[in-house]
Amino acid sequence: MTTDSPQGGAMTPPPAIAGSQPPAAIRCRGIVKEFGRGETLIRVLHGIDLDVRENEMTFIVGPSGCGKTTLISIIAGILSATAGAVDLFGTRVTSLKGSALVKFRRDNIGFIFQQFNLLPALSALENAAIPLIAQGASESVANAAARRFLIQLGLEKHLEKFPSQMSGGQQQRVAIARALVHEPRFIVCDEPTASLDAASGRAAIALLRDAAVRPGRAVIIVTHDSRIFDFADRMVAMSDGRIEKLSDAREIAAMEHH
Amino acid sequence: MNKVALKMLFGDPTKCLGLVFGVAFASLLIMQQSSIFVGIMSRTSSIIYDAQEVNIWVMDPSVQYVDANRPMRDTELSRIRGADGVAWAAPFFKANTGVRSRTGNLQTAQIIGVDEATYIGAPRRMVLGSIDNLRCPDAIMIDRTGYKLLFPDTPLELGAEFEINDRRAVVAAIVENSAAFTSNITIYTTYSRAVAYTNNGRTQLSFVVARARAGLSPESVARAIEERTGLKARSSDEFRWDTIKYILANTGIPISFGAVVTLGVIVGVVVAGLTFNMFVAENIKQFAALKAIGVTNMTILRMVLVQAGVVGFIGYSLGLGIVARFFDTVPKHATGLRGFYLPWQVAAGMAALTVVIMLIASSLSLRRVMTVDPAVVFRG
Repeated sequence: MTTDSPQGGAMTPPPAIAGSQPPAAIRCRGIVKEFGRGETLIRVLHGIDLDVRENEMTFIVGPSGCGKTTLISIIAGILSATAGAVDLFGTRVTSLKGSALVKFRRDNIGFIFQQFNLLPALSALENAAIPLIAQGASESVANAAARRFLIQLGLEKHLEKFPSQMSGGQQQRVAIARALVHEPRFIVCDEPTASLDAASGRAAIALLRDAAVRPGRAVIIVTHDSRIFDFADRMVAMSDGRIEKLSDAREIAAMEHH
Repeated sequence: MNKVALKMLFGDPTKCLGLVFGVAFASLLIMQQSSIFVGIMSRTSSIIYDAQEVNIWVMDPSVQYVDANRPMRDTELSRIRGADGVAWAAPFFKANTGVRSRTGNLQTAQIIGVDEATYIGAPRRMVLGSIDNLRCPDAIMIDRTGYKLLFPDTPLELGAEFEINDRRAVVAAIVENSAAFTSNITIYTTYSRAVAYTNNGRTQLSFVVARARAGLSPESVARAIEERTGLKARSSDEFRWDTIKYILANTGIPISFGAVVTLGVIVGVVVAGLTFNMFVAENIKQFAALKAIGVTNMTILRMVLVQAGVVGFIGYSLGLGIVARFFDTVPKHATGLRGFYLPWQVAAGMAALTVVIMLIASSLSLRRVMTVDPAVVFRG
């Protein structure tokens, strides 16, 4: 499959993975990101081509500084690319600017952060309801939706608790609820298990997988945590700003086995 | 999102209190000092204010304000009465003199001599006695505060005797008046008696107080008096402002109070600004997360302004409440603050100033919030 490149030419598809593949929800072509200028210029991403499928959990892995976070920041529209294009469910995110980009993020993307970034003064319920409040939903509608997700994630007894009153795993579940509450088409997670112990981390990802993976939605997880690799449907290994290897579930399972 | 902003604000009670305290302190300081300033300025023209039936004051051309007068010839009174538009005119004597009670309590007093027949220029709010008691020998009226200073620990009563320049004076009435600028005791008596008390020479006419005929403006009649007599004539409003302007221009009072008000503004801006900045700095990742999630900069701006507005409102209200309470209670017991109050203009001005303080205080933080890169939330 080819798509229009940002420069208007035909795009070369990224390396294919064997087996049946769901349609690509996210297409990245020729993503370049540079920081600084002149002698201090650093190229962090060197022309990344990547397709991310819907109804799957795609892990981006690699050593620190390899550009994983920069790549998902560009895909999620919170960092601009120096060159290249990102299409997210048919919308060219890299062409959106200002309030159009903010509105696109608000309506289509759910975020899960390494440090959770819950508002400490808000209860679990209020934190989870924020994306809907930001969309202009009434408090009652937003709270009802947030309550549903929090209960689904096993937090029915913690709805009114503040982040400081919850464990790391519970906070991450609130963050998952916040990422899902407005039914976004793309979930992006940055090191979601970095602040959790092994059991909590696996539990959080299992819950995320159950709640988030579905047709019409793509999930990308950036992680170092090899303990959760077995949850991945596909894995993108990065090194020095380039994609080094793409693996599917079977290959990942084989890696795990070895 | 406004509710979220308020929960963020009140969720950090230490900083919230710091912000409120900063604004409340600044409001309190500025309103209290401004009100005292207004009170002092009002005192400078209290005689003019108390002479309610008078709307024109005539004086020697060299006089610049009410407390420094140069006596005029007694014959000027007739010339002023003959000026176009003058309904009536009366002599008015004013001087400072020493008074002493029978117990040896020595004080400085302001003595006012008014027309024997009409008592024009004397206050009419009686606490005890009647203005007609001035017809008695050696009779004077004294203000309530002056009486308490001259006769401490003595209940208010008529007939108390004291000396003015070694001459006997008898309290024939006690009045309520506006506090004076130069003295805490004001004595009212007839014109001739006041002249006799102060032992001055023949030319004693401090002012001539007059009233314009109905339908004529005091200013236009004052100009007519000036043309006819060559004296200086001012409407009551003009003379009050002349006096205030003279005090402002020739004393350190405005600089002193101006410095305190400036200090209040600086304290407000610095304390509120720094605390607000710390508050935003500690929440910057939360703001960045909100921006990443899709909260627009306009919404973030509104959130910060709501926080600033609420802090400003609470701080200002606290300051206003304390100052109002202060002026409601303290002047009743402290002679030095008698008649001082919180003018609504000061309260309104402070409300506007609070908005300015909070805008300045939040502007630095706002810049930080508006420019924060949402991508920082992905940096651990």
